[in-house]
Amino acid sequence: MPQLQQVKNTTYPLGYWQKVTLSIWLIALVILPFADIEIVNFDPYLELTLMSQGLMAPDFFATEYLFQAIIQTVNFAIIGVCLGLILGVPLALIYQHPIVSSCCSFLRAIHEIFWALLFLQVFGLSPMTGILAIAIPFAATFARVFFDIINQSSDSPLESIDSRADIISRYTYGKIAQVLPQIMAYTRYRFECALRSSAVLGFIGMPTLGFYMETAFKQGNYSEGAALLMIFITLIGTIRYWCPPKLLGVYLVIACVTLVEIPAVDSSLLVRFISQDILPPAFANAASFAEVQWHSLYIWFSDIITGQAIPGAIATITLALLALAATHFVTLNAHAVASNKLWPAPLTWLAQLMLLIGRCVPEYILAFIFLMLLGPSMLPAIIALAIHNGCVIAYLAVRQSNAIAPQQMQISKFNQFNYHIMPSIYPNIMALMLYRFEIIVRETAVFGILGIMTLGFYIDSSFSEIRYSSALVLISCTALLNVAIDILSRRLLKLPKTSQASC
Amino acid sequence: MITIDKLNLHYDKTASYNIGKSTDKNKGKNPSRKSGKNKASTQVIFDLSLTINKSEKVAIIGPSGAGKSSLLHHLYQTLQSRAALCSQRQGLVDNLSIYHNVFMGALARHHCLYNLINLIKPFKQNLNDITALCQQLELDQPLDKKVDKLSGGQRQRVALARALYQQQELFIGDEPFSALDPLMTSRLLETVFAQHNSVIMVMHDRELAMTAFDRVIALDKGRLVLDSNQQSINLQQITQLFQTSAVA
Repeated sequence: MPQLQQVKNTTYPLGYWQKVTLSIWLIALVILPFADIEIVNFDPYLELTLMSQGLMAPDFFATEYLFQAIIQTVNFAIIGVCLGLILGVPLALIYQHPIVSSCCSFLRAIHEIFWALLFLQVFGLSPMTGILAIAIPFAATFARVFFDIINQSSDSPLESIDSRADIISRYTYGKIAQVLPQIMAYTRYRFECALRSSAVLGFIGMPTLGFYMETAFKQGNYSEGAALLMIFITLIGTIRYWCPPKLLGVYLVIACVTLVEIPAVDSSLLVRFISQDILPPAFANAASFAEVQWHSLYIWFSDIITGQAIPGAIATITLALLALAATHFVTLNAHAVASNKLWPAPLTWLAQLMLLIGRCVPEYILAFIFLMLLGPSMLPAIIALAIHNGCVIAYLAVRQSNAIAPQQMQISKFNQFNYHIMPSIYPNIMALMLYRFEIIVRETAVFGILGIMTLGFYIDSSFSEIRYSSALVLISCTALLNVAIDILSRRLLKLPKTSQASC
Repeated sequence: MITIDKLNLHYDKTASYNIGKSTDKNKGKNPSRKSGKNKASTQVIFDLSLTINKSEKVAIIGPSGAGKSSLLHHLYQTLQSRAALCSQRQGLVDNLSIYHNVFMGALARHHCLYNLINLIKPFKQNLNDITALCQQLELDQPLDKKVDKLSGGQRQRVALARALYQQQELFIGDEPFSALDPLMTSRLLETVFAQHNSVIMVMHDRELAMTAFDRVIALDKGRLVLDSNQQSINLQQITQLFQTSAVA
């Protein structure tokens, strides 16, 4: 073999996803010094021992009304999803209209908890609050995802249908029939999300599993809390067995029958809420439009913006960016552990179970547990977000990487994983992750209730101080922030449309 | 029946045949789009003049990239009201059964409610018709089988059955038999001829085109080079056409 000519100074540019990964970590490192992440609790072992003792000896009979709580959790989820479908499907058909799509993205950007806090003022602890709090953001999400699915489907069946056939026949045969499996799969996935949301609504007082979970954890009844968590994880992990799509109709009827009674809506309360409570004080105090003190309105508004919205938004974004980097870390590790391309099957089953637990346990409970261990700071929220989102993405990534046909080459499993599996799915993992960034920002809201100073914190305190008008302003700010982040990340990164995993 | 005079077609126009939607959704499905950088100016048909009469059976042949499909889709667009198209991109709905894919040919004949009910519970009459049609096309698969379970040749025959089930007087086909063996091809061609007054078909089997059709026209690089109505042509000329095109 002739000697090859020596080449010096060869360069190999970074790939696109390498650059994205690097920038995520660089940003996280830059903002890390500004984030409040110190560990305050110096003796976490006592709490840890108590928790693990509770986990070892779960008490399934400690909860009163346990059965009732499970039924209500499922009921809210089923009725919420069905109502969301009823509202979302027609919206999906007109979603290309910019007004419809921006309205939907605004509605979607408001967390279920905030919807529930709003409806709580009008309906009280009625099932209406829980159902509407799930149905509205879900309808907006269904509209967008179904629109995406329909848009990405092939046009060639439509083109081959005689153009004289009426539009309904053409559309059902050429489009709907084509995308129905995807739509069904997505709806089933969202049902899982709805169960989780339904449980989370318990944290603000709805009679679902989350209510008893929160109570148990707050009172230190860890054996009761562990039992409730186990029931909840089993409920989600076995959806496909107890709720096949064919039975959805039956369940809907059962749900409507077993729903706790809906108290009559006090219309004067509704009127008062709309005409007085949610109006800024300058409006509410003025007898007529002419008397409105514009100056005080301006001061009120700018106080909220500078005193609460801006600090809240900064904390929200800081938390979300750090959580994004941590999610990246968890995803890659969880995927590597659960991939059947690297480990023998029994080990991956164990890892799959861990992924299931990671994505089922509500972030709120995760954050709560870490809060007990590490003391109050952003750290528990970051860890909770990273575990939850990392497990969701890893779960989807494992499903994908397990489906890849192995290379017909004699290389070790480890090399195969690094040279074949990871390069094939890494872009997908990153796309899913950046897509979930919007969801991470949304989820930071929940931690406000735990006392972490995100926008959610200010909203929650506005509600508890009965300042609904400022709560409304802050909710709108949150929604606008989410919409802006969504638009920005789409523009900057030209994300491939992986709508399959939004939750 | 149709006369076209000095037709010029550009790639973009033909990409959105039949419905006239924006073309960017079909990205990647058409290989020619990828190759042409200045896609706006990729001309595929140059000054083509042609008259096709009623009850003629015309075969279009030519080397690949000659503009056969573009011409065919242009013809279909003009003759849409009485033509059934069997396109190369079959446009089958993978999630539907053979029965429903074939029935899609008859959507225009029924009210939309009838079509919707049929989607859930097939009507006896259609079931009988489509069973007979599939037997004729030697498609011995259960009608409730989803089409994504079928082989390439079987899928092609489902697409053919759907075009036949449109029951039009004119059949326009874009290589509808390319995945079938020669004997079956000639049997099915007979079936198509028997059920249609006029046929316009892109053929890749040159010999069959010469023997079975009334008229053969040949395209090369977007121009009409041979027409059996104008001059008598033989297989040699055509073979030569394919060879020179391959060299160039």
